[in-house]
Amino acid sequence: MKFSCERDVLLEALAVASRAATGRGGSLPVLSGVRLEVGGDRLYVAGSDLDLTIRVETQVKGSQDGVCVLPARTVTEITRALEAGAVSIESDEDEAHLSSGRYRSSLRALPADDFPRVPALTRGDGGVTEGVVNLDVGDVGQALRQVVRAASSDDARPILTGVLMTAEEGGLRLVATDSYRLAIRDLPGRNVLGEGQQVLVPSKALAELQRLLPSVSEVELAFGDHDATFDLAGVRLTTRLIEGDFPNYRQLIPSSYPNRLVVDKEEIQGALRRVRLLARDATTPVRLALRPDTIELSVVTSDLGQASEEVDSKYEGTEMTVAFNPGYLVDGIEATDGDEVSLETIDALRPAIIRGTGSEEFLYLLMPVRVS
Amino acid sequence: MTGGCRRGGKLASRVAVAAATSATACCSAAVVALDDPWTPLTLRTNCNAAASTSSVVAGGSRPRRVVMLRHMGQTLFAPVHRSHRLWHTHGVEQHRSILHVDMDAFYVAVEVRTDPSLAGRPVIVGGSGARGVVASCSYEARAHGIHSAMPSTRARRLCPEAVFLPGRYDLYQQCSHQLHEVLHRFTPLIEAISLDEAFLDVGGARRLLGTGVEIAWSIRRQIHDEMGLWSSVGVATSKLLAKLASKAAKPHASLTGTIPGLGVKVVEPGAELAFLHPLPVGALWGVGPATRRRLDRFGVTTVGDLAQIPPETLEGALGQASGRHLHALAWGRDTRAVEPERGVKSVGHEETYPRDHHDHEPLRREVVRLADAVASRLREAGRAGTTVVLKVRFGDFRTITRSRTVPVPLDAGPPLAKVAHALLEGVDPSPGVRLLGVSVSNLVQRDSVQLTLDDAEREADDVARAVEDIRRRFGAAAVGPASLLGPTGLERKRRGDQQWGPTSPPSPPSGGPDGELPRRSGGVSADTDG
Repeated sequence: MKFSCERDVLLEALAVASRAATGRGGSLPVLSGVRLEVGGDRLYVAGSDLDLTIRVETQVKGSQDGVCVLPARTVTEITRALEAGAVSIESDEDEAHLSSGRYRSSLRALPADDFPRVPALTRGDGGVTEGVVNLDVGDVGQALRQVVRAASSDDARPILTGVLMTAEEGGLRLVATDSYRLAIRDLPGRNVLGEGQQVLVPSKALAELQRLLPSVSEVELAFGDHDATFDLAGVRLTTRLIEGDFPNYRQLIPSSYPNRLVVDKEEIQGALRRVRLLARDATTPVRLALRPDTIELSVVTSDLGQASEEVDSKYEGTEMTVAFNPGYLVDGIEATDGDEVSLETIDALRPAIIRGTGSEEFLYLLMPVRVS
Repeated sequence: MTGGCRRGGKLASRVAVAAATSATACCSAAVVALDDPWTPLTLRTNCNAAASTSSVVAGGSRPRRVVMLRHMGQTLFAPVHRSHRLWHTHGVEQHRSILHVDMDAFYVAVEVRTDPSLAGRPVIVGGSGARGVVASCSYEARAHGIHSAMPSTRARRLCPEAVFLPGRYDLYQQCSHQLHEVLHRFTPLIEAISLDEAFLDVGGARRLLGTGVEIAWSIRRQIHDEMGLWSSVGVATSKLLAKLASKAAKPHASLTGTIPGLGVKVVEPGAELAFLHPLPVGALWGVGPATRRRLDRFGVTTVGDLAQIPPETLEGALGQASGRHLHALAWGRDTRAVEPERGVKSVGHEETYPRDHHDHEPLRREVVRLADAVASRLREAGRAGTTVVLKVRFGDFRTITRSRTVPVPLDAGPPLAKVAHALLEGVDPSPGVRLLGVSVSNLVQRDSVQLTLDDAEREADDVARAVEDIRRRFGAAAVGPASLLGPTGLERKRRGDQQWGPTSPPSPPSGGPDGELPRRSGGVSADTDG
């Protein structure tokens, strides 16, 4: 294998692909590498942790076709450190030689045969999608930003680390929960899945997708039986789907709320940012005292002190105090659209709902914190 | 305090100036140190401000000294950093008065009190199994060369007629509570080191209760009157010297009988070095066998020898930090304050098995047992933690830890066990597991509970709360995880059992070393030099 290209071209391909590579010390050493393949003037760079594979395709000046797997971190760091200009890589089975300007290095290659096959889309008879769907990047990006944060990061509960994508009234719905909060976003009119069908996509893959979206204008989406593929200009992200039943989230959403608060989004965000500074740790709750014309946000930490701030609001319902994990509350408010945000509650112990006023497409359900 | 921001800013800048010139700051003004956890700032108050210190109870919890600054009609309170600095009041220098109270052969003394027929005999409390260690021994046993932390098998060889007792942690803990009741009459500034050992700062109690020496004698008398146990008390100007003094006040073992000690030993201010320098260098904290060997090369045997070595030489031989530290100690400079209520960083249990386990199954059960016990203690303490740590020691003493951090703090047995099980899955037990430990760190106050949307989790929490209620009313063994049901009922792990190695006589002697050092399981160590 032999090719040469500009430093920046190689660096971008390596940086994107190696995000899917694993750290060192994993069970399969080859996964800490990136696979470089040259075919004609195309270079394909892929990284994979078996669940997620990112493959980047780019234009280079190829001199000899071939494949080679190099340690992801090292080769990326080297490329990053090079001066701008042409870089060339030439490899045989065991070793790759990288040169640029007066810099030379040789790198021991990882066994290319051990690298997992970059999965081709498996579209069986009961295949989830018939074809490929194009999605508007702006919508998808916003939906991911709103929903992915609510997914769990706890590997002990694999189902909850996924984002549910489901067909809903002719559109696509994204749902995620870590069992403390639940985020739902509808993308009406985006027929990606057959009616009633649903898939569970790892939130890690979607977070990577989110990072890549700003640089493209369109994303192509296709689902197989066990994997999903997102095609962006030159980058293909393939992820294994999570098997299992997502919790029945519909039953968690109360049908009606007796109490409704509407407050300016920026004001409550500012107040939260300030009172939160007196939280001892991430679990110190923030209390919201709900009253007709103002709400009072407060944080009490026994050794540190306390802080409170009043915010003007419109509130209809019973006066009460409800407490939340400040991080979860901030996440929810931040995810809403519009200048105002509404908080609907039943009581201090049952789930509350946060929405942006005027938008029915996003909903954030949040369990309170019980304070003694 | 209104307009506090501006005022605070002004004060802060003045503090910086005062700190830079602090050497001159003490004559005309009160020198106080603010409770900044990292930098005790020196603050000079000027003519308009009056400063005074007093003891108050802050927030209904621990008593704290605060400094009250009155400045231009405003009053500022700030908790005082218990710094090592001497208090200069009107030119009179007052030395710190620190007591180290240490019970004499605590566990054994408690046993002898329960069974007077043991008096005068060599008695050993500790693990009697092949992997047990001596936790405490009577002075009669010490005369045979037995000491705490010694493998029990060796102790048995040295003194075959010794009485071995397994130890009753609950009882010792009860006695420890009683001891602390006595100590609390003298000062709230108590730093508990173990069940039977504590530092007291009685500097503030002198006007009320007399000098440090007088207080030391009263403490010793009251402990004996109320508990029937003897203690030794060291009185000095630093923790280091107080601890060495209490050791010097201890009874001594001899083959002809126990020689009573002084009971109270005082190191007077000014006489520190005369006391310290003749002591063997090993008496200093932090001088273990390795350091001793290095110091041997310099011909150092006493603390006095060590003091004569230039600090640079010491730093070269032992590294900068410990060289500097030892040099300071050798000159009696120990500025650490008595710190009550040292924050608990983690809660854990561990257990050494009489026989190595080679399979996952029994270990999974052990994890349930340990997690259940850890959860109980977390709940008792009103804490919960987000990081679960599994510790595994193999037959060859190779020790590994595996940890996982979860998003919401845990304090119930089943979820703790679930995380620990997941960690255990990643460990290959086939070489033989000798010890298993489960602990929880990253602790938070459990004064609030994040509610969950997950019914199963909610039920688990309800169950855990019900279990704690039942245990509180009917005892610890009343209810527990079904997997812990054995032929004799619930096999719960209790704090303190297995402290000093397994007691049951094990199967064939293992190939490895026959004992190990006492572990700080349950946060308690053997009473080493009582």
